[in-house]
Amino acid sequence: MSSRAIVAGVVALLAAGAAFVGSPEPHAGSRANIRALADEIEHESDHVTALELAEWIRQRRPGLRVVDVRPDSEYAAYHIPTAERIPLATLATTSFDPRSTVVLYSEGGAHAAQGWVLLRTAGVRNVFFLRGGILDWMDDVMNPAASSDLTRYFGGTARTNAVPLPGGATQVVARMRRRSC
Amino acid sequence: MIAPFTDSSVVVAAIVGIGFGFALERAGLGNAPKLAGQFTLTDFTVFKVMFTAIVIAMLGAFWASRLGLLDLARVYVPETFLAPQLVGGAVFGVGFALAGLCPGTSCVSAATGRGDGLAVVLGFLAGVGGTASMLPLLQSFYLSTPRGTLLLPDVLGVPYGVVVLAVVAIAGAGFAIAERIEMHAARRKA
Repeated sequence: MSSRAIVAGVVALLAAGAAFVGSPEPHAGSRANIRALADEIEHESDHVTALELAEWIRQRRPGLRVVDVRPDSEYAAYHIPTAERIPLATLATTSFDPRSTVVLYSEGGAHAAQGWVLLRTAGVRNVFFLRGGILDWMDDVMNPAASSDLTRYFGGTARTNAVPLPGGATQVVARMRRRSC
Repeated sequence: MIAPFTDSSVVVAAIVGIGFGFALERAGLGNAPKLAGQFTLTDFTVFKVMFTAIVIAMLGAFWASRLGLLDLARVYVPETFLAPQLVGGAVFGVGFALAGLCPGTSCVSAATGRGDGLAVVLGFLAGVGGTASMLPLLQSFYLSTPRGTLLLPDVLGVPYGVVVLAVVAIAGAGFAIAERIEMHAARRKA
């Protein structure tokens, strides 16, 4: 066999292999990947808080994509500024630039966390979900007990009727009420 | 975002640059008439060298990332600005066809002592300097029609691996067609 044919064969093999494995992400979909994901969850590097997300949006963090996985009607009623709506059903087949930072949110956080698993399993890096969902966004950014410059930036106002309980108990009570996804 | 020029990155750049220049010269791309043959469709060396580089780099990047050797997130992809890049591409193409050399090959040509290569190097440095000095005037055009970072898998909505296979298939077909045209051209000459 000529060296030319050998090179062509190796190239064809590597290209066909690439089409077969699909993603260039290491360990996408494998057992090792699932262990790594479990580690990320354990180390709490899988989520951001509403205040962190607000700061990222304000800083116009390069490549930031805020994704709303709630139903269309809820997205239409209100969504976090700059957010795009991608339903969970199409999330895993949506392609994301490897350089982007994806932040998923739902109403309470459960659906977004499930979306996080879908995306990470599909090999997308730099995915986070908003802990406490849009409810936390409302409580901590839009209508916090005390207004901050972030609240003003997003056009929110401080709660006037909030009775600040000691040790952040107001927030704890608010979070305990949540059962939604 | 451009990688900071740390000491090691300068060393790596020098090694990669020397390797690139060596490969260009070995392929005969320091020779302007050979490059001009690409535009008259008599010599497809430029096409073949470039597509070989694309295929090797693409397969290398894909598998190096897959095997955990390369973090693709740290590979810089320039953003797309449609109109200025179309105009820039046209200007570049005219210059390439007129000079028979592009910036990379002109450096190779100059380094091997060819006078036309040196002239093109001086010409493109003057062009770079002139454009830079006019940048305030050109800035609004430079930043017009931004499209962000475009990648084929995102634009086409297909997995990376499928794009890799498609590009290799296109390169293979291109090679076959190029060699056929070259054979015809050689026969006509003979």
